[in-house]
Amino acid sequence: MSSLKELAELVITGDIQKVKDATKQLLEAGEDPLRVINEGLIPGINEVGVRFKEGEMFVPEMMMSAQAMKAGVELAKEKIGGTDIPTAGKVVMGSVKGDLHDIGKNLVIMMLESSGFSIVDLGVDAPVEKFVQAVKEHKPQVVGMSALLTTTMPVMQEVIRALDKEGLRSKVKVVIGGAPVTQEYAEEIGADGYAPDAGTAVELCKQLLN
Amino acid sequence: MEYASKHGAGMAFRTLTPEQIREIHSASCRVLEEVGVVVHHDEAADLLKQAGAYTDAGGRIYIPSALVKRALESAPSRITLYNRLGEPALWLEKSNVYFGAGSDTLIYLDPFTGERRPWQSSDVATALRVVDALPNLDFVMSMGLLSDVDRRMINRTQYALMLKNSVKPQVVIAEDRGTVADIFEMAAAATGGTEALKHRPIFALYCEPTSPLQLPFESVDKLLLAAENRIPVNFACGAVAGASTPVTVAGTVVQANAEALCGLVVHQLKNPGAPFLYGYGDSPLDMGTMVAVYSVPEALLLQGCLCDLARYYSLPSWGYAGCSSSKAFDEQAVVEGTMFTLIGALQGCNLMHDVFYIESGRTGSLELLVLTDEVISRVRYMLGGVDTTPDYLAVEAIRRVGPGGNFLGDEHTARHFRESWRGNLSDFNNYDAWAAEGSRTMGARIREKLRDIMEAYRPVPLAPDAEREIDGILRRAEERLAG
Repeated sequence: MSSLKELAELVITGDIQKVKDATKQLLEAGEDPLRVINEGLIPGINEVGVRFKEGEMFVPEMMMSAQAMKAGVELAKEKIGGTDIPTAGKVVMGSVKGDLHDIGKNLVIMMLESSGFSIVDLGVDAPVEKFVQAVKEHKPQVVGMSALLTTTMPVMQEVIRALDKEGLRSKVKVVIGGAPVTQEYAEEIGADGYAPDAGTAVELCKQLLN
Repeated sequence: MEYASKHGAGMAFRTLTPEQIREIHSASCRVLEEVGVVVHHDEAADLLKQAGAYTDAGGRIYIPSALVKRALESAPSRITLYNRLGEPALWLEKSNVYFGAGSDTLIYLDPFTGERRPWQSSDVATALRVVDALPNLDFVMSMGLLSDVDRRMINRTQYALMLKNSVKPQVVIAEDRGTVADIFEMAAAATGGTEALKHRPIFALYCEPTSPLQLPFESVDKLLLAAENRIPVNFACGAVAGASTPVTVAGTVVQANAEALCGLVVHQLKNPGAPFLYGYGDSPLDMGTMVAVYSVPEALLLQGCLCDLARYYSLPSWGYAGCSSSKAFDEQAVVEGTMFTLIGALQGCNLMHDVFYIESGRTGSLELLVLTDEVISRVRYMLGGVDTTPDYLAVEAIRRVGPGGNFLGDEHTARHFRESWRGNLSDFNNYDAWAAEGSRTMGARIREKLRDIMEAYRPVPLAPDAEREIDGILRRAEERLAG
């Protein structure tokens, strides 16, 4: 029989199967699913964040831990039923139309998820309307756009204009990123922020929501 | 099977054994056959299907090894690139090595003030003239992304600047088919027409897949246009190991090779015998900082693999040199730039680009460019190897001088000393003489040389009517894009 502390340890080791098994055991033994999340799984991923900042753990290990945590959270959620788990915020993310690159975007998603944000991933090659539709449907606090190509960068501006036209612009913060993107470009097209890397993107989202 | 590099007097270098080359080739063919690729271009997808590739219900295309074999047989083993004056300048084959600058950095690092700023057209013109002036740089690229022209005109304007400020052959980045067509027209204007340009290409085109295993529309569209017009072209995966390709060097080679071969198959199906440049690069993801970093040892090893594979395939090779992850022109930049330049030359990589890149390609340093010119000079000397013919073995000179003598006064020394390497930046004074001349460091000497070039150097100008024609092509493109 695992304890919540041991569950946190398993999240740190990033062993998905063991986290699932331990979560099941705890739930079957009658542990409160919210406690399993808040006192087992979340402290585990928080410790991973600390160790990452200190240079003891690295991104691939963080990814494993994040996946393990997510698997545990899914099991606990089933027990809770319809109750929404409180999150740090909701972010709609996508690589804009014409751009098939998703590694940077996926890194940002992974980092945001590890920091408690919930994500709606629009994938790659996402047209302007898809962003608008997602904002209407999911009512996020933040819209994140990624572009690796200079040719697709202008689509970011189109999305901002479309949000404006639909009266949605004031309801969300828009953040952008990608190799050719700069702070100046973000200002030029009227985005709320720019992040040069995934770590900064998380800080940026937190700042914008405060 | 030829795979190791061959330089002067039997000097050679290899990264892989013949067995490893066969293993990698086989693994790449398995990826193309078993995993398949996604081709976002109808004509290319049709070419593959008609040639016998299987397409599944989801649209993924699986390429049989026989198609790879046929493409490797029809692609030429040598590409000659000409300069703007119509003279053959670069022979891309075997272990010949050529170096050039890079394209599209975001930031210009002012060598005199240290200021970092977005590139202006005048900065790019200046930088191109510096490349033109440096004797060991063999080709030009666009240097920086222009911040002072309409975004859609950037590649065209860069190309006009390349033609106006340098006679050297070019490697070109272009966003789409229309841009390549305009660039081709500008090149034709400078070299005596379309047919002459097809016969004597002055530029190669850079295209890339979107890893893993996707062929985006614009890249394939350019690849097909290049095949039609016999513009030398690559299909170079810019790997980010651990993210867009496997984290291991071998895994990255297997996938990047599969992607390059897939590009080659499409290219040769379109126009068998059209010139194709084989290569790719890796800037692995640093798992602590999440930055894709240049010039780490893994990237150098990867280039060794691709050079050995290129010779095994009898294809001209494409790679990197003289670049760095460092944020400044500092000791790290010198270490990384110099290592890559030396190893790339030993590997016998035909066309090496990105000399002057720092900050992993975001910033361009003309100081690193000038320094690397001197590094290449040292390296080229070394590639000559050691002459062991009787006069060089010098037994007669040793006999003449004898025990306790001095070679300084011997005619053998007088006859041969001018063959020794001489640089023009490195300092060989004693301390007092060096101090008397102002104790100038290498950096100071580099900036002085840069200032001299910037003030005095004038490239061979274009003919006035060619220049007018090029400006006309630019103007028409601008009107078209605005309309």
